[in-house]
Amino acid sequence: MIFVVKNHTYPPLSCRTLSRVSGNIFFRVKTHMNTHAIELTTRDGEQFHFDCPAEQNLLEAAASAHIVLPAQCGQGNCGTCYAEVTEGDFTLGKHNPSALPTADSAKGGVLLCCTFANSDLRIALPFDHDRVLLGEIQVRNADIIAIDSVGENTLRLELHLEPNEDSGSAAEFEPGQFMELEVPGQDIKRAYSLSNISNWDGRLEFLIRLQPDGLFSTWLKEQAAVGQTLVVHGPKGAFGLAENGLRPRWFVAGGTGLAPMLSMLRRMAEFQEPHPARLYFGANRAEELFCQAELQALQAELPQLQVIYCVWKPDDQWQGFSGTPVDALAQDLADATVMPDIYLCGPPKLIDAAEAAARAKGVPDRQVMSERFLPA
Amino acid sequence: MFCYQCEQTDRTNADSGCATAKGMCGKDATTSDLQDVLIHAVKGIAQYTKRARALNVPDNAADEFVLYAMFTTLTNVNFNATRFVTLIQEAAQIRDRVKASYLAAAQAAGITPEELDGAAAWQPAADMEGMLKQAADVGINADLDKVGADIIGLRSLVLYGLKGVCAYAHHAYVLGGESASIYAGIEEALDFLSTDPTDVDALLNQAMALGTINLEVMALLDKVNNGTFGAQQPTQVRTTPIKGKAILVSGHDLGDLAALLEQTKDTGINIYTHGEMLPAHAYPKLKAYPHLAGNYGGAWQDQQKEFAEFPGAILMTSNCIIEPQAQYRQRIFTAGPVGWPGVRHVSDKNFAPLIQAAQALPGFKEDGAEKFVTVGFGHEAVLGVADKVIDAVKTGAIKHFFLVGGCDGAASGRNYYTEFAEQAPQDTVVMTLGCAKYRFNQHEFGDIGGIPRLLDLGQCNDSYSAIKIATALAGAFECGVNELPLSLVVSWFEQKAAAVLLTLLSLGIRNIRLGPTLPAFLTPNLVQVLVDKFGLLPITTAEADIEASLTRKAA
Repeated sequence: MIFVVKNHTYPPLSCRTLSRVSGNIFFRVKTHMNTHAIELTTRDGEQFHFDCPAEQNLLEAAASAHIVLPAQCGQGNCGTCYAEVTEGDFTLGKHNPSALPTADSAKGGVLLCCTFANSDLRIALPFDHDRVLLGEIQVRNADIIAIDSVGENTLRLELHLEPNEDSGSAAEFEPGQFMELEVPGQDIKRAYSLSNISNWDGRLEFLIRLQPDGLFSTWLKEQAAVGQTLVVHGPKGAFGLAENGLRPRWFVAGGTGLAPMLSMLRRMAEFQEPHPARLYFGANRAEELFCQAELQALQAELPQLQVIYCVWKPDDQWQGFSGTPVDALAQDLADATVMPDIYLCGPPKLIDAAEAAARAKGVPDRQVMSERFLPA
Repeated sequence: MFCYQCEQTDRTNADSGCATAKGMCGKDATTSDLQDVLIHAVKGIAQYTKRARALNVPDNAADEFVLYAMFTTLTNVNFNATRFVTLIQEAAQIRDRVKASYLAAAQAAGITPEELDGAAAWQPAADMEGMLKQAADVGINADLDKVGADIIGLRSLVLYGLKGVCAYAHHAYVLGGESASIYAGIEEALDFLSTDPTDVDALLNQAMALGTINLEVMALLDKVNNGTFGAQQPTQVRTTPIKGKAILVSGHDLGDLAALLEQTKDTGINIYTHGEMLPAHAYPKLKAYPHLAGNYGGAWQDQQKEFAEFPGAILMTSNCIIEPQAQYRQRIFTAGPVGWPGVRHVSDKNFAPLIQAAQALPGFKEDGAEKFVTVGFGHEAVLGVADKVIDAVKTGAIKHFFLVGGCDGAASGRNYYTEFAEQAPQDTVVMTLGCAKYRFNQHEFGDIGGIPRLLDLGQCNDSYSAIKIATALAGAFECGVNELPLSLVVSWFEQKAAAVLLTLLSLGIRNIRLGPTLPAFLTPNLVQVLVDKFGLLPITTAEADIEASLTRKAA
């Protein structure tokens, strides 16, 4: 599955596309015609290297490479990101002259947030290496504490992070993020959205759809057992709640696309956020629905939450909505007086259809946020 | 958005001010615009509270809301747009409540009630989109074309000073300090602003009146701080970590710190102060907790690095918060007026979730090498040895006093304050307050006959101490404060500093050196007024300004 985030509220993943292929994670680095090699040298002689596309400022390009440099305004005004180019050609954008006096610019002084590379660059940073934050992805051990079947072909996997020196026993992540799980004994990782919320007991919860012949699925079905240890990478990803006042939040989930929605709704419950909220949760058949008890518990904590179960091919017994969650969404959007923020997670067809429906009903694109699973 | 209330406002264009999608402080246009709308709504409350108070039906709960609401609009306090939508709705409801009681009181007294318009009659839109449309009519520069930049600048001086007054008054309120005359002064100022004033003298008079109210506020805050926690005592504070679980407390709210200390006693968690919380170590009732372990980090602008490296939970009790980074976003909690979207907020002093986080997080792995700074020179401590100080002046051992203090910030021009304090001659005493002290408080200043050359008076909230000390010295030498061998070198960043500046000006204190830059809302004409009336001086270089202070060239 390819995992694509849209309308995220975090710095754009501008020089890479984050992909999730049938559980396989890889980073597809787009090849830029105009990408320059940047070398940073701190005052105490440490070096950092990253590639900077011509159209991206140095500060952002460094951050994309997980090199977080001291900066504040990001707009050429405060002078916090001052550095000196010792070799190479660059363009300095609009900035506050008092943040970069002429005497400084004469010796190659720049503000990284508004400087663009025209060639490879060597840059001297006026501080020691400990001022540089390296936003590295954490890699930790986690023990399986539960594997439950929650619906047809769907498992709930609960892990417990082993406490370590740097993180203690905390599980810190944003609702909507995912982690990569390593298949034991194989050099392969699968990415799954977290369905619980940041907590201090080290708990990670995932909802996993069993794929016929899927590597992780096969391992889960045949070998996984409580007590085993997995290596987990993350958290990662920028799908998550957007702050847009009290605008209603509508969540549309297909299958295990429910996981990030559960996480976001649980966060809303924890914070007691008052936004009107609806969850459209769809499956092909009623037997494939899951987590109804969890959703009911969530409604007790978040009374404004409406859950609309949608079954595409219902049997005679089905009393809920018949059709896809997109059908239900389109129907409700027609009656909506305020255009909601819409969060989408599931297979691409569902997301494409939901986006089309939202657009047809006049929901601005910026209010539609999605994360899609694409079969590889 | 348009905002130029703080020192780091966008100056890349000829017209200074943050006017793009995001301000320099990290506030997005939505939140900034909603804050403008909230201020408008708050003016509507004050139009009625002022008149209700005159009819003997004051509504202190409404005034308390005004303090809180205004506090949330300071530069680095609340960035949560959603919170402002609810505050705006609440403001309109409170305004309607006060209006009803005013109308009833007028009727009971047989008086024809005034018919108020403007903010008093304004209704918030039903949703955020509507409120954002309303923002265009109520921002600080809404009628710039009509009244000109000088009038907008003067209104800004009043509004921003008033924000500072409200913030300090809220600090006093949370420790039980309230006063009818302070509420009346705040109501008066907001009611004045609601008339969209255009008279220069009236605006200047209101600014000075606010300075006077702020003096009362600062005195009240001093009283409740000392009354609740005992008067500050000179105290050595460890600035390096101790092995073990840890919580870091930033901001100014000593009450929150006290509650947390009580809730964490016997848990084994060490509590560290950050930024403006440093003076807490000097209060007897706070330092009595043995797990108030030390001070960590520097001034507010370094928090993204320092918090990311702090191995425990973090509590931000008031200004100044900047965008929490991913590394610590889950482990930072806000309280009081502070807010950031997606960050946990504790509204009831129940810090159990924060404590749980601290217990889960690793804490410091080992002790740092011992290092200390000395704090606690509030007015009681300094005036307790007034005889010694006066003698030292009379014998010539102390030639001059400098007050070098205020806010810190990221701008490189703020090195001036480091240089100033460190280059002050050995026969001078440097008093400091606010977070600007972090630029030099690790420096070895030595002492003059046992009197430390660096006296840390406390938070910016303790500016009253500086005024009290200066006034007492003037009394001892039978002169005015302006005749004392004392120079004020003030570093400003945000609106609390604006309030303190108005207080100093209202006391007639002249020749204050203000930097690192002058407020963007002060037009050249307004700067000239302040220079002519109060001898206000922009900073130049540390060397030249020290020289000028000592030879009183500028006096």
